[in-house]
Amino acid sequence: MSWSQMSFVVRRASSNLRELLWTHMLTSGTMAMTLFIFGSFMLLESNLQSLLKGWGDQIQLNAYLERGLGSSETESLLNRVRALPEVLRVRHITQEQAWRDFRAALGAQSNVLDGLPSDVLPSSLEIAVKPAFRDTPLVERLAARLKQEKGITLVEYPRDWIDRLSLLVLAVEWVKWLLAGGLFVITFFIVGSTVKLAILARRDEIEIMQLVGSSRTMIQAPFVLEGMVQGLVGGALAVAGLWGAFELARQEFSLSGGVWGAPNQWQFLDINGMALILLLGWFLGFAGSLFSLRRFIRTWRVLKSAAHP
Amino acid sequence: MIQFHHVSKAYPPDSAALTDITLVIDKGEFVFVTGPSGAGKTTLLRLLFRDEEPSQGEILLNGQNIGRLKSRGVARLRRRIGLVFQEFKLLPRLSALENVALAAEVIGVPRKESHNRAYRLLSELGMQKKSDARPLALSGGEQQRVAIARALVNEPLLVLADEPTGNLDSQIADEIMRLFLDIRGRGTTLIIASHDLELIQRYGTRIIYLRGGRLAEDLERKVKKGSGA
Repeated sequence: MSWSQMSFVVRRASSNLRELLWTHMLTSGTMAMTLFIFGSFMLLESNLQSLLKGWGDQIQLNAYLERGLGSSETESLLNRVRALPEVLRVRHITQEQAWRDFRAALGAQSNVLDGLPSDVLPSSLEIAVKPAFRDTPLVERLAARLKQEKGITLVEYPRDWIDRLSLLVLAVEWVKWLLAGGLFVITFFIVGSTVKLAILARRDEIEIMQLVGSSRTMIQAPFVLEGMVQGLVGGALAVAGLWGAFELARQEFSLSGGVWGAPNQWQFLDINGMALILLLGWFLGFAGSLFSLRRFIRTWRVLKSAAHP
Repeated sequence: MIQFHHVSKAYPPDSAALTDITLVIDKGEFVFVTGPSGAGKTTLLRLLFRDEEPSQGEILLNGQNIGRLKSRGVARLRRRIGLVFQEFKLLPRLSALENVALAAEVIGVPRKESHNRAYRLLSELGMQKKSDARPLALSGGEQQRVAIARALVNEPLLVLADEPTGNLDSQIADEIMRLFLDIRGRGTTLIIASHDLELIQRYGTRIIYLRGGRLAEDLERKVKKGSGA
């Protein structure tokens, strides 16, 4: 395509955008609504992931040490455990520390411990696991490996809690992709239908361009460019709407709080998330307009042939 | 320049629009295609600008078999053909000048050059004062002049006109026919489908008569002086 043809395409597209402003606004508005739903889910998912990450930080394994383990042996064991790829951090709890923590946990009932020796509890290692390794088989494997370490007598971990957390993360992932897929298909057809309205309004123009020897690219390019602009506008409207809804929800929930964490720690979409919505809008506009245009021209050719026997 | 070799066109299931047409049209000829309704006049024109493909036979334009062209080839073919229709086919949102220039712009002629060409042609057709008017503000004859200017803007080898005077009164139809004669004077081949026998008698030099999709007569005749030819 030459410069003069490109300039023609841009001029046609911008003049069509102006002349069929309401049709284009309808398309952009439809796209904005579906992208808003998709964006809301992205927002929910990213904040839920942060929340799960906070909960996941609390997952740890407790490895109880042999009585009478020397300080150099304990130090060597600590270094070996720290070097494991699954391990985020390790804290050594001495017998004295374990006793103090236990008494503190019992609070007012701590006098039941009176008379017991303070070395009744074993020393232990509190091992936090890296996020990537926080699912059942990986934690089981780590526990088995720790049990084989010299100096460790018993390894405990909250198996049920890890199972539930893994399941929740998996469910969020799946719902995200299912919803994204469903929304993509629905939006594609809605955009296709509204773009078809714009094409129908200009079928004479398409016919005349075909008759004067315009190439297929030249015929389709202004429509596709308009579709891309509509998509970008739809994406921008969706991001603006999401921002407004996010701020409103944050204000509303700051009064109630609860299980969803402190609203002031909620995060809006990062630059990649916003770019994804714009990109998705652009792509939907591009693919939707191209798809409907091709289908329209094909159907039209068949109808025209049938009309001139 | 144009050769039809045993060309037939049928529409499913069994409607024959043209049957076994063989004819030759030379460069610069001014040909009328006539016949009753349904004789195949429009189909013959549509085959020439490849709006339809022949069911049988071949059509050569300057030695090129146009029945075998793919979509890109069809676009290139149409750049060498100017088309004029009974219903003008002008875009109401564009001015007369923009309608004419559009045909040049879409094939890559720069905007300024396209507009210069369009203005020059509109001036030659006596439409310079109405170049900014939209089609709906123009009379039928004026709209057809704009359509003729559009057909000529890319300096075609061939102009095809399907009932170009069908919507015009006889005085305007005469003016349009004189314009076609001027176009012929540039060396362009003209094929006009019409059922207006009076007009054909007055201006026709070669008359192809179709009946029931078959070539019934192919007449060449001298036209009397003063009839415009």
